[in-house]
Amino acid sequence: MAAPVQQSGPEAEHDQAQPTGDIPAYAAAFVAALRTAGVSLVGTLPESLLKSVYVAIDRAEDIRLVRVSNEQDLPGLLAGAYLGGKRALMITENSGLRQACEPITRLAFAHQIPLVMVVSYRGDFGEPNWWGHNHAQVMGPLLDALRIPYRVVDRVDQLDTVIEKAFVHADASQWPVCLVLTGECIEGGLS
Amino acid sequence: MRRVDVARVLGEETTTEDLFVSSIGGILDDWWNHRPGGEDNTMSVSILGSVSSTALGLAIALPHRRVVAIETDGSMLMNLGVLCTLGAERPPNLTVVVLDNGLYECIGSAPTLTSRNADLEQIATGAGCLNCVTVHDEEILREVLRSQLDDDELGFVVAKIEPGMQVWPAEKKRYTDGVEDKYRFIRHVERLEGIVVHASSPHV
Repeated sequence: MAAPVQQSGPEAEHDQAQPTGDIPAYAAAFVAALRTAGVSLVGTLPESLLKSVYVAIDRAEDIRLVRVSNEQDLPGLLAGAYLGGKRALMITENSGLRQACEPITRLAFAHQIPLVMVVSYRGDFGEPNWWGHNHAQVMGPLLDALRIPYRVVDRVDQLDTVIEKAFVHADASQWPVCLVLTGECIEGGLS
Repeated sequence: MRRVDVARVLGEETTTEDLFVSSIGGILDDWWNHRPGGEDNTMSVSILGSVSSTALGLAIALPHRRVVAIETDGSMLMNLGVLCTLGAERPPNLTVVVLDNGLYECIGSAPTLTSRNADLEQIATGAGCLNCVTVHDEEILREVLRSQLDDDELGFVVAKIEPGMQVWPAEKKRYTDGVEDKYRFIRHVERLEGIVVHASSPHV
């Protein structure tokens, strides 16, 4: 297994955005963006479109990766970390939003707790799997119904900026936000 | 052992240095009146099934501080998968206390599945949680808490309680809403830790 990526200053951050060993560039850039934003905890139910991201975070000694068995655990995990003063985010396939609806509504909304949610855009234009299309059909209307602001991110060079902005937006509004990753920002670069 | 007895013993065995995440329902006012120091040290989440996950996030965020999840059988049963996450992460500063009366008492005492064959201690043990134990008696509960709160390992205590809700007078009941609870908890954590959790932007 490759050594964990270490960080000490802007040059090191630049280095971390490069692919290392079996970690593709998009995943390395994502982890570098997490570090830039000061994220210390990531909760996830892994899926395939961001599979290298989970490997990269698992190797990062300064970011704790907590795996759950159901996405409904993730809003609570993030809420607890936020209340303890730490930046945390959750990563799932967009289908995970549906599982997490109840704690998003009754935990994050009822207490107005900011959550930064990152989902992969399963079912985006060009989706080859028949079972993936329903995920996309439901995702936008669901986020709109939940009144959760979201941005679709398809360029790796946007990651640093949008992740930082997501935390600023969530904290200022005391409300969840969602980043939907596709294009260059997912495994294999679906576009 | 009644629910209010568990609240009282837990309040006596913890300190103003500890943080708590509690379930809703009958435990709210019992704990509100027995929490150590009368501080805003408890985040009472308005949902069943997210108490332990919230406590886990808090325990990871503040690894030097003891965190207690005050669960109920109804909340735990809503989301048993979190036990697998607790069993994998095993945060040493977290103790989970489940008040188990086998009932959804607040909504008319319909039975929960712990009143049938489900055993939360065994489920938690199988999920990889440490120090899982079931207690029926107040003094045993006190002994177990003294051990588990200070053992630097994840703890999981199922407190079997009798049905019956303590009736609190109006001045002893908790009337805050979920948003006020959050801000009060945040400000308490900020004072306790000497950190800033949330600072609003200036008005102008």
